[in-house]
Amino acid sequence: MKRLMTTALFAGFAAGAAQAEDVTLQLKWVTQAQFAGYYVAQEKGFYDEEGLTVTIKPGGPDIAPTQVIAGGGADVVVDWMPSALAAREKGLPLVNIAQPFKSSGMMLTCLAENGVKGPEDFKGKTLGVWFYGNEYPFLSWMATLGIPTTGGADGVEVLKQGFNVDPLLQKQAACISTMTYNEYWQVIDAGIAESDLVTFKYEDQGVATLEDGLYVLEDKLADPAFEEKMVKFVRASMKGWKYAEENPDEAAMIVLENDETGAQTESHQKRMMAEVAKLTAGSTGALDVADYERTVATLLGGGSDPVISAAPEGAYTLAITDKALQ
Amino acid sequence: MIWLWGSLALWAAATALNVALAGSGLARHRAVRLAIPALFGVTLLVLWEGVVRGLNVSPVILPPPSAIGARIAADLPLLWTDFVQTILKGALPGYVMGCGAAVLVAVLIDRSPFLQRGLLPVGNFVAALPVVGIAPILVMWFGFDWQSKAAVVVVMVFFPVLVNMVAGLAATDRMQRDLMATWSAGYWQALVKLRLPAALPFLFNGLKIATTLALIGAIVAEFFGSPTRGMGFRISTAVGQLALDLVWAEIAVAALAGSAFYGLVALIERGLTFWHPSQRARV
Repeated sequence: MKRLMTTALFAGFAAGAAQAEDVTLQLKWVTQAQFAGYYVAQEKGFYDEEGLTVTIKPGGPDIAPTQVIAGGGADVVVDWMPSALAAREKGLPLVNIAQPFKSSGMMLTCLAENGVKGPEDFKGKTLGVWFYGNEYPFLSWMATLGIPTTGGADGVEVLKQGFNVDPLLQKQAACISTMTYNEYWQVIDAGIAESDLVTFKYEDQGVATLEDGLYVLEDKLADPAFEEKMVKFVRASMKGWKYAEENPDEAAMIVLENDETGAQTESHQKRMMAEVAKLTAGSTGALDVADYERTVATLLGGGSDPVISAAPEGAYTLAITDKALQ
Repeated sequence: MIWLWGSLALWAAATALNVALAGSGLARHRAVRLAIPALFGVTLLVLWEGVVRGLNVSPVILPPPSAIGARIAADLPLLWTDFVQTILKGALPGYVMGCGAAVLVAVLIDRSPFLQRGLLPVGNFVAALPVVGIAPILVMWFGFDWQSKAAVVVVMVFFPVLVNMVAGLAATDRMQRDLMATWSAGYWQALVKLRLPAALPFLFNGLKIATTLALIGAIVAEFFGSPTRGMGFRISTAVGQLALDLVWAEIAVAALAGSAFYGLVALIERGLTFWHPSQRARV
């Protein structure tokens, strides 16, 4: 009897899968409001309307989206452009098909008591940097400033920061990497007043690189059926993003419901959603070629150690968003 | 495809040759005994290269050994910096401190029944702590540099050495100790002249296990905050950059270093416990 039921269940699944098209999305990080648009599109049925069955796979500190897509674990990934372009140069042909984040939320947060007032004060200090593909914006910024990252009095000592704010609280680093929508608030929540902090937004320093975008493998795009599927996916996802922007509190609650780890809190997610909405504002989902060119220029301008060595060809396509957003 | 079939053919030929060599009378010669495992290793590398090239496996999934070799040759200074940071600064001092402390504590435990009953269970408890749990805490306590890595290594190697040393100190039998007593030897004389030498085979057992543990501890600890050098740092960050050839280069260096470290300890063991049956059996 039991076997009969499982068989029936499987048959049911198979029938469902035959009707709807499956898309697997790999997120760059754990379930949080940074990815609200996709969860909202899921919950509000925007994907269903397009006939898509979307599986959203959360990321984490030891998951590189580039590696997941290289191994065939996802159809489309959320990644930052520096990491995607670097992977492209290493032989993984990623293509940007949409860019929901218009602005960069990355910044360097310093304790004022450490005497950092401007970028010229970085010399001789210890700075916390995220690695795993997130170090590129920092490296190109330092290269633009002409500060070596190898330590010493004229350079900065870089330490590999975990995905938390401990190094700043423990006074192990003068400055640490934070996102406007996440770690910055963890510092505040740890009891440090905003007036005690000095922040440098990459956006203001002229070295902002594009963050959360949607990437797929180039050869799969050659298949019209896959392209059509991505058009539907991007259209529904952007509908989700715009809904999340307009209803941040509802979006935060949807994210919380989808957080299987139970690690996120309501206040944190609502605040994060409010900050993320600022970054997605102004983006229709279509990649702004000027932003792309600026990102490439920043990455190429790495001095002796550029993040990418040549301007990439065919690293983005506007075809998907042109169709999706007419 | 030529790569795939070629490497498969070579693999078959080399295996046949190896089987023939191992079975023949030639296997008595030292050179042939060395050639058999060497040939086996080379065949594995050729097969790897052939399959990766023949099936067009993406280099971000599995790079061919030739690419890894080229990367090792090109990045020797970088690999050396990482080696110094992880092995010479993190693993070795931690190993020496951890093993030294374990031997001292073993003697203390031997002297005191209270410690025997109280400390061993606690030591067991410490040994059961997962390295991924204690590493971030020790990084918080001892900072990002090698000190916290050495501390992780101390925690990892302490217990295996302690257990073996305690067992080693109990290895002498009543008759031998009575004999020392009839010669009116004190505790320390009996310890140095009889019980420590008798404990050596046990101690080296622990020391050998600890070599690989020290390496693993130092590398894994670097995953949880480190300066921008070290093998663990490089492995964890190069994966994110899809520089898989560099990851494999580090793995190769780590494996070589681990084998050399183990071999060195085994060599010292052979020199110091030449009297033990397990060593005498060898020619």
